[in-house]
Amino acid sequence: MIQLFHVRKEYTGDAPVLDDVTLRIEKGEFVWLTGPSGAGKSTLLRLLFCAEQPTSGQIIVGGHNVGRLPQAAVPYLRRNIGVVFQDFKLLDNRTVLENVGYALEVLGASDADIRDRARKRLSQVGLSHKAASLPRSLSGGEQQRVAIARALVNEPTILLADEPTGNLDPSLTESTLQLLFDANARGTTVIVATHDRGLLQRWHRRTVGLSAGKLVFDA
Amino acid sequence: MIAHAASRLFRRAAVNLWRAPLPSLVSVLTIGLSLFIGASFVLGLLTARALVTSWGAEANLTLYLDPGATDAQARALAEQIGAQGQGLEVRYVDPATALQRLRGDLGELGPALDGLPENPLPPSLEIIPREPLQAVGLRVLAAQLGQLPFVQDVEYGREWLDKLEALGRGLRAFGAGALLAVVAAALLVVANTIRLAVYARRDEIEIMKLVGATDRYVRAPFLIEGALQGVLGAALAVGGIAAVQHWLLPRASQAFAFAAGVSAMHLVPLHALAILGAGALVGFLGSWIAVARFLKA
Repeated sequence: MIQLFHVRKEYTGDAPVLDDVTLRIEKGEFVWLTGPSGAGKSTLLRLLFCAEQPTSGQIIVGGHNVGRLPQAAVPYLRRNIGVVFQDFKLLDNRTVLENVGYALEVLGASDADIRDRARKRLSQVGLSHKAASLPRSLSGGEQQRVAIARALVNEPTILLADEPTGNLDPSLTESTLQLLFDANARGTTVIVATHDRGLLQRWHRRTVGLSAGKLVFDA
Repeated sequence: MIAHAASRLFRRAAVNLWRAPLPSLVSVLTIGLSLFIGASFVLGLLTARALVTSWGAEANLTLYLDPGATDAQARALAEQIGAQGQGLEVRYVDPATALQRLRGDLGELGPALDGLPENPLPPSLEIIPREPLQAVGLRVLAAQLGQLPFVQDVEYGREWLDKLEALGRGLRAFGAGALLAVVAAALLVVANTIRLAVYARRDEIEIMKLVGATDRYVRAPFLIEGALQGVLGAALAVGGIAAVQHWLLPRASQAFAFAAGVSAMHLVPLHALAILGAGALVGFLGSWIAVARFLKA
């Protein structure tokens, strides 16, 4: 499903951010990607959704070699990948429902279809009653749930989450992660980058450790 | 699916204009001002060319005949030229009349002509084209008339005509160059103004790309917005020019006296449509440049 072969990423003049990373993630797996700040977790995720290209090595996502993917084909790959960020990345001038439906707009879905599917996702994350609200009127936990609903609305096969609970109170962490576990239970491959060891200890899943750009453990 | 996407893009473009009124207003005003300057310049240039053409069109010809030609021969020649069907009015001026005119023109010095032993002026024919002739037509006519019997010389203000033609060529060259510069400057200013508006919405672009929007999809609402801003700006420019023509130009015309009978070019509906089209194009291209830079970055 996802394979990395001797992947290296470096920026001119700096030490490599990722160095000789080889990794295989099967369809439907849930993987913690962990390591200290600067270990290369976010860069690895960015390589997976084609925000960046590897300096060397090969990355296969859903059968596509992303390094050889023409630029025009990248958007179509991304439609199969949901991404959740620590800072939510919601549009402040759109309602919660519009934010969730945004991913469906680019697919050319009808207004009614967008509304129905976005409402359904909002209901799954427990925010039906906030559909007409603007994101800034929501708490951090609620905003992250909106972001997760948006990432899942077009039923992607892969969900990438970069420190999804980094800005949340501990009380909100569990409910947020539960949404990711639920998606995984429905068959979505989920990769969550976190530096919070407490999460790994509490929820035992496959854990891939990075340090200074190198893969240091896979357990 | 395409209809859904198209209607949504137009709706989104209109909503975005409404939601970000300040950047939109700046873009609209920039386009409006650029088009106002550009269109005023073009209208001014057209007026100048019309003026130059009218000066050329006023040129008449004078055929100086052999002094030995009799009155009857000169009149016959005048009739022959008039009957050629070239739309020429021909007036015969006999030597006595010519001398009388010269005396009148000399004013106080006129009596000095009385001392001449004989009238030195030849008979002549004044040729007045009924329809205005362009410089080239005037030259051809002069060459044809010069071939006729008894015609010794043809006078049609050749030097003056050369200067007018050079002035016309200069105006065209200057106009083309200056117009190009005005359009390029307008496009640059508009592109940068729109770029600021695009930059303000970089988060939106990032998210659009994140959820799988193609570059074309990202670009489309900005292009529509740009074209809408262009049309609004152009409408302002048309309004501005119409106002200037209505309020200022009559006074300016009096002051500068477009005495040659040429009035300043007026904005006709076709001009207004052309300005609106130019506005849409400038807004569209400006957005294209702005977004292209951003998508590359």
